[in-house]
Amino acid sequence: MRYFFLSLMMIVVLPSIGVTGYRENFEQEFLTKTWSGEQVEENLCISCHSSDKMKPEFRSITDAWQASWHGQNNISCEHCHGGDPKDAKTSMSPQRGFVGTPRYQEVPDFCGKCHIGILSNFIESGHGKALRAARKAPNCVTCHGSHGIRKASIDIINEQLCSRCHSYERAKIMKQALFLTEKKIGQLETGLEELRREGIYPEADEKSLFSTQAEFRALFHTVDVDLVKDRTEEFTAKLDLIDRNIRATYRELRFRKNFSAFLMLAFTGMGIVIFLLSQSKED
Amino acid sequence: MKRRRFLQTFLAFLGSITLFSFVNSLVRFLAAIPTRPTEAKKIFIRKNEIPSGGVRTIIYNNIPAIIINRPDKGFIAFSRECTHLGCLVEYDHGKQRLICPCHAGSYDLEGAVISGPPPKPLTAIPLKIEGENLVIG
Amino acid sequence: MLKKIRMWFEVRIGLDDLIKTKVLDYRIPKNINIFYTLGFIAMIAYAVQAVTGILLFIYYIPHPDHAFRSVQDIMTKVPYGWLFRQMHVVGSNLMITVAILHMITVFLMGNYKRPRELTWFGGALSLLFTITFGFSGYLLPWTQLSYWATTVVTSIPTALPVIGEPIAHILKGGDHVTASTLSRFFALHVAILPPLFLTLMGIHLFLINRIGISATPFGIVDEEKRPLTEYKRKIHPDGYPYYPSFFQKQMYMMMGYFAVMFFIITFFPTMFFPDEANTPADPFRTPSQIRPAWYLLAPYQLMKLIPNKFFGITLMAILAAIFLLWPFLDTYREKNVLKRPVLRGVFMFLLITWVVLLFWGRT
Repeated sequence: MRYFFLSLMMIVVLPSIGVTGYRENFEQEFLTKTWSGEQVEENLCISCHSSDKMKPEFRSITDAWQASWHGQNNISCEHCHGGDPKDAKTSMSPQRGFVGTPRYQEVPDFCGKCHIGILSNFIESGHGKALRAARKAPNCVTCHGSHGIRKASIDIINEQLCSRCHSYERAKIMKQALFLTEKKIGQLETGLEELRREGIYPEADEKSLFSTQAEFRALFHTVDVDLVKDRTEEFTAKLDLIDRNIRATYRELRFRKNFSAFLMLAFTGMGIVIFLLSQSKED
Repeated sequence: MKRRRFLQTFLAFLGSITLFSFVNSLVRFLAAIPTRPTEAKKIFIRKNEIPSGGVRTIIYNNIPAIIINRPDKGFIAFSRECTHLGCLVEYDHGKQRLICPCHAGSYDLEGAVISGPPPKPLTAIPLKIEGENLVIG
Repeated sequence: MLKKIRMWFEVRIGLDDLIKTKVLDYRIPKNINIFYTLGFIAMIAYAVQAVTGILLFIYYIPHPDHAFRSVQDIMTKVPYGWLFRQMHVVGSNLMITVAILHMITVFLMGNYKRPRELTWFGGALSLLFTITFGFSGYLLPWTQLSYWATTVVTSIPTALPVIGEPIAHILKGGDHVTASTLSRFFALHVAILPPLFLTLMGIHLFLINRIGISATPFGIVDEEKRPLTEYKRKIHPDGYPYYPSFFQKQMYMMMGYFAVMFFIITFFPTMFFPDEANTPADPFRTPSQIRPAWYLLAPYQLMKLIPNKFFGITLMAILAAIFLLWPFLDTYREKNVLKRPVLRGVFMFLLITWVVLLFWGRT
């Protein structure tokens, strides 16, 4: 019996030795190929701009972008600058929508291609009007940077940045007006993340929070403190609703824990009782 | 003897409360949840309150929604929640589109995605015309 | 009242005689140990999976557009949906654990030996079926974890030359994991595997009953006549009656099983839900850490280590064959594993290797 088995094993094992050449090919495919089966598409913009031939100041762009919020969400070069990232000939061609580096005054329209809501608030603001009149004014890049863009935070409003053009006083007042709402937004983001980790997927609340914080932060770009103060209540109401939902979910999770703890104790109890019964002598 | 009786009674007690908990959970589980449409309150709006080419934003079933009176195809209602990340879309009269202010997601007046990051069309809300009224829901 | 009901059955099916022969006079060897209950526990574990599975079946939608949301609804909107889902998930891992423990104890007590070879074979096959249950069920919630772990595991057959690609293609229902894959895995999980598994279990139980309970080698000297010339059911006239002795053991072990299950559900509800298990599947974004489920980690790690992939799969097939056919390979008389240091050594080595590979595969 076992000899039959051993010989069967030999017959199967021997060919595998003959197939060793297959190994390198397979290793490449199996171990290094991405699991989606698709090759990661080469982005020519990034290949050239990160190569050694490029000027050092241009090379830093790709690193900054990679670490940025845009980079992490797969918004790449062509989405803002146009051009074809797959074809070297048309990678910087106006026919493929390439616009290159926008001029200082053109930056808001450049970013506003996607960030429509923010652009419409910015245009009517003191900053926007000053920019259009070609006076000293900030554009998007002034506060957010160009390629190393981070997720929006209230600390972008700071003395160093804002006092370049005027006294920090008015920026400070605005920051104070935003402060509590921003804090609440942060707390809710953390709360929702914790819920996710507990296994609850709070989709409706996440959407609501995103929408509310996006609208609130877009509103800031009017740099109109009175407007922000007037509408803060409206935003707070929406945030409070999300907060109530999160609290309700935590209450539900506590109930679940108690219920399953009760069942655990009941079963443990029954197990012990049956065990004791099995030990006691029958009459 | 007494000990045995006690143990047996205690076992019966534990067994019954466990059984009861499970049966209770099972029955509630099977009794099912009310389906959303019957839960939501219908909204009635007079047809002539929305002129041709005009829109009205409402809240239906806790969702911000929009009713459009399309010049060519009549009334239609959608949820305003953009299917990308949840921002509320706005009606662009000039372009006859619904545009999301967050990342420029663009939908046509059938709710289909024209451009931008949204992965799915806007959720349509059932709308009926009953005489002079629009019934949403 | 109870007497009347009993009488009603007695005159129709001879209930008293049935109880007497099958329960009261069914004798279990005196030196039985607690590990003898593990098979029963594995069966209870399966029953729990079947019942909770059917309940989940009522609300689950097996299509990529709705699968994740339907599971979320079960967890958040359906009353006590979370309870049955948690029982099903924790239960699946516990069932595999119990099945493995059952297998190990049967092995160590030598209860697979002649005349019980077929019983072992059926049991080993059941374990493979159980793992297939786990593997097919893993995809159903359509999370990042499900999608990518399935992509990895269904790509393994591609190591085989010529037949590898077609096999992977049939498993996936295409080149990638899609709605096709979900449908076939769902059909496998709820319609194909259950009747096959139940049949196998039925045969396994029949064999145990027909051949008779074997006594462990520890303590009692249990000689089986060699060579086997005729069928003789193994009985233990001086053993304990099945009821109440062994029955009680089975009962409190069953309570223990549920206690462990609810302990995990209470204190470690997210044990089997890493972050990727709470995110809907995204075919365009691979998470940084893709791994199959823990019970597949050791073979997976072994595959990664062996440089020749074809040899890797072949080795796995050989190991599976050895596992299934072990009683035919080990025909040595001695049943007491304490008297077989070589076997003990080899077994411990394999067990430790399996555990090491498992933990290695986690990193």
